[in-house]
Amino acid sequence: MGININILRSALVLSYIAIIAVLILGISSVFSYLNTGADRSNMLHTEIKKIEQYLPKIEWAPLRNEGRTIDLQTLTAIETDYLDAWYVKHVAYKTNTTKGIDDYYTENARQSIFDIISNNKTNSIYVDGTTLEHNLNLDFFSEDGQLAVLTDSDVVAYKRVYHNNTLVLETTEQSSYKIIMLLEDGFWRIRHIIKQHTKPYNYQNIKASQHVLDIKGINYYPQDTPWDMYGENFDTSSITKDFNIIKNAGLNTIRIFVPYADFGNANINPKKLEKLKIVLDLAEAHQLKVMVTLFDFYGDYSVINWSLNQHHALSIVSALQHHNALVAWDIKNEPNLDFESRGKTLVTAWLTAMIATVKSVDKVHPVTIGWSNAASATLLQDTLDFVSFHYYEDLGDLDTTYKTLKAELPDTTIAITEFGMSSNRGLWHPFGNSEDDQAAYYKQAQTLFKLYNIPYMSWTLYDFTKIPKEVVGRLPWRKQTQEHFGFINQNGETKPAFKYISKV
Amino acid sequence: MNLLNIHIISFIVMLHTIAPSLPADNFTLITTTTQYVAGSTIIIEFTTTTNKAPLLYVSNSFGSTVVTPTKTKTVLRYTIPKIIADKSGVVHWRLLATSKQLQGEFNIMPQQKVSSIQSYLGPPSIVAGGKDFSMLVTIPTDAYDNPLAENTKLAIKHQFLNKQQVDTVTIKNSISYKNIFSPKKTGRIALSTSCLGFNSKEFSIDVMPSTPTNFTINYKQYHKYADGNQITTFETSVITDEFQNIVSDGTYVAFFITTANTSILKTSGTTLNGVATARIIHPDHADSWSVQAFIEGMASSNNIAIDYSAVISDFDIVFANKYSDITVGPLKSFMQQMIPDGLQVTLEIYNNTTKIREILQKTSAEGYVHFTLKPNQFPKGNYTITVTAAGISKSVKNITL
Repeated sequence: MGININILRSALVLSYIAIIAVLILGISSVFSYLNTGADRSNMLHTEIKKIEQYLPKIEWAPLRNEGRTIDLQTLTAIETDYLDAWYVKHVAYKTNTTKGIDDYYTENARQSIFDIISNNKTNSIYVDGTTLEHNLNLDFFSEDGQLAVLTDSDVVAYKRVYHNNTLVLETTEQSSYKIIMLLEDGFWRIRHIIKQHTKPYNYQNIKASQHVLDIKGINYYPQDTPWDMYGENFDTSSITKDFNIIKNAGLNTIRIFVPYADFGNANINPKKLEKLKIVLDLAEAHQLKVMVTLFDFYGDYSVINWSLNQHHALSIVSALQHHNALVAWDIKNEPNLDFESRGKTLVTAWLTAMIATVKSVDKVHPVTIGWSNAASATLLQDTLDFVSFHYYEDLGDLDTTYKTLKAELPDTTIAITEFGMSSNRGLWHPFGNSEDDQAAYYKQAQTLFKLYNIPYMSWTLYDFTKIPKEVVGRLPWRKQTQEHFGFINQNGETKPAFKYISKV
Repeated sequence: MNLLNIHIISFIVMLHTIAPSLPADNFTLITTTTQYVAGSTIIIEFTTTTNKAPLLYVSNSFGSTVVTPTKTKTVLRYTIPKIIADKSGVVHWRLLATSKQLQGEFNIMPQQKVSSIQSYLGPPSIVAGGKDFSMLVTIPTDAYDNPLAENTKLAIKHQFLNKQQVDTVTIKNSISYKNIFSPKKTGRIALSTSCLGFNSKEFSIDVMPSTPTNFTINYKQYHKYADGNQITTFETSVITDEFQNIVSDGTYVAFFITTANTSILKTSGTTLNGVATARIIHPDHADSWSVQAFIEGMASSNNIAIDYSAVISDFDIVFANKYSDITVGPLKSFMQQMIPDGLQVTLEIYNNTTKIREILQKTSAEGYVHFTLKPNQFPKGNYTITVTAAGISKSVKNITL
């Protein structure tokens, strides 16, 4: 009995402690919940983080304005509010709502915008637009610092005009404006904006000064970090080892990818860019050339975000354009796959804008787009320096496909920047290709490339063990196929196809 | 690398490459006018042989829209909506026909008639002397809020005292501006503008005096005795700027007084009609003061000397009640009158080793000061008492408490 009483006692005490603990925990979590947001610094909204939502190219002419000399801080404030005024206007015309207009247009000026919005709303019209380039000049700044007159020349604006939800016009215009801005309760607001000139913008393609000729290449990801080359596991020693293998196999070029979001979206993460530069440095040390593919894993194409995409591309291109290892720019991998979901006109317009962006900085290196098939390869060819497509179909048809394309583009270099065969025979593909089939495929491919002197880049060096779901989805049979495209298997042994990596 | 959609896409792209061969639309622009005035009715007309009625895209300074036509047999009429037709600037249009897209532009000029003049004047007050200025920026607008055309003439009128001036400026960059420089005299400049017969309302700029120049000071007092009671008043001359404008009321003037033993006393005043006055109480002992006034960082005065004579030459100390009641007085002033109440008298008590036991301070009332010492506070012994009043000290030795 005595033991039982002790057990009972300790059980009572313990349960008492447990109840108290639960009560304290409950009260404290209620208390801390009620205190969230009560932090004084939050209460005053003193910490407002600036979100980059609009970053068109902007160029200020040297300051020679009439009136008062302007200081840099005021000029920056004017620039920020001026660009925000464009941004809210684009959003307003796209959605036919007036949100944000009050902050960036004075009472009289905003009426003109409201009138257009109500007219467009009534007539089921909306305009999805953006601007990509502004060239500002300060004409006048008043003595009391409350009024500024600007000229914005050659504003490149892209617009998609919809009527009854049908796209009726897609246009790029180049216009110049005279703008009067007033400082009202802390905001520089547009008081008057008057269009001075306008003309349709025709992108004049400037051919790159360098040519792509003798590419014997391979698409490259390290074996351990496919599709995540610049992450935490970035390892120069394994890249060095791989570059040795590639160089010794008789290849001279690699194709690498710059994932858009991973690199920080609009504003490039400098650490990632540094790693990208290291890859190019290593390639140079191994006498390998590099084709850099931009905008990997980007599929939005929203017109309002173009300025951000442009900003991203400009940062990368200007950082790498003088690198000795760079051979060409691939604007985007297989963008034609997005035609169906995003619309062909939108995607091609975006590609045209990005080609222009890259070429505005780098006039030396040729630019291409890695189309996913030969049928798309003729698209935008006037703006590209050479044509590249990917070929995963039957090799028996390549001869005809290539000849047809060559007949259409007799003066253009045509490269096959992805091709390959997965030795995927296994559980999911009992009748799939064996490693010998893969070797035979490469032998046949190399024979054709030699015959027609086609620059090529195979897919890929390694069999991978981890395929991110973003690449081929979650289905195991798809993943299994993607895992076995390599010349070197998962254990690091060369497969029979390795013999034909660069020659017959 | 994406295997998912290759086959589907190749099929779609093939579909796209087959371009439909449409019959050529036939539209010809009739309208030849390319210059309009804001607010006028703008109609763009085309002749056509088809029965199609394509939309017309129009884009102006503020935004874009599309216009549907009205059709009469062979003519398409596009009435440009008021939202576009009212605003000045270049308007770009494009006929959204399926084949050849005709396009062009026209220019909408602002009306040559002023409906309002918005003016921005700043700063609102400037300093006399001709170096400082205020800027008047004006934006005349027409009935549709469009700034008037470049090179339109504008009169800027300003008046000061008995002088009126009219300056003609032209509109440049949609605005016009004029710098109004200050005159040498203070006052108020009235401004207004007129453009094409339309007059603005009145604006004004206050012309404030410039920085003060050096000035002189003097003092006033009822007598020269250091009675610690009367007040000496300092006064500046009329302080002006270099153009003889009286400085603004409220200009702060600080008076620094150096006494005979080089301590500094300070008093201050602010100007009224250019004159600042400051007061200070007389010392309670004979002293020689040297006084100078400053408007900090801008101007200073001359140095003046003031001598104060002692009022008391001697006084009595009377003891009663075994030295515990001490009466100092009568304290007599310069005419043997009882000194006005409030003269400070200090009593110091030393023991024989000259160590101060206690200091008592009192102010006089009706010419006397009474001190009461509590015998319990002091150990038995001999003490020396010193009484100081109006700078005079007297001691009484060998007092047994």
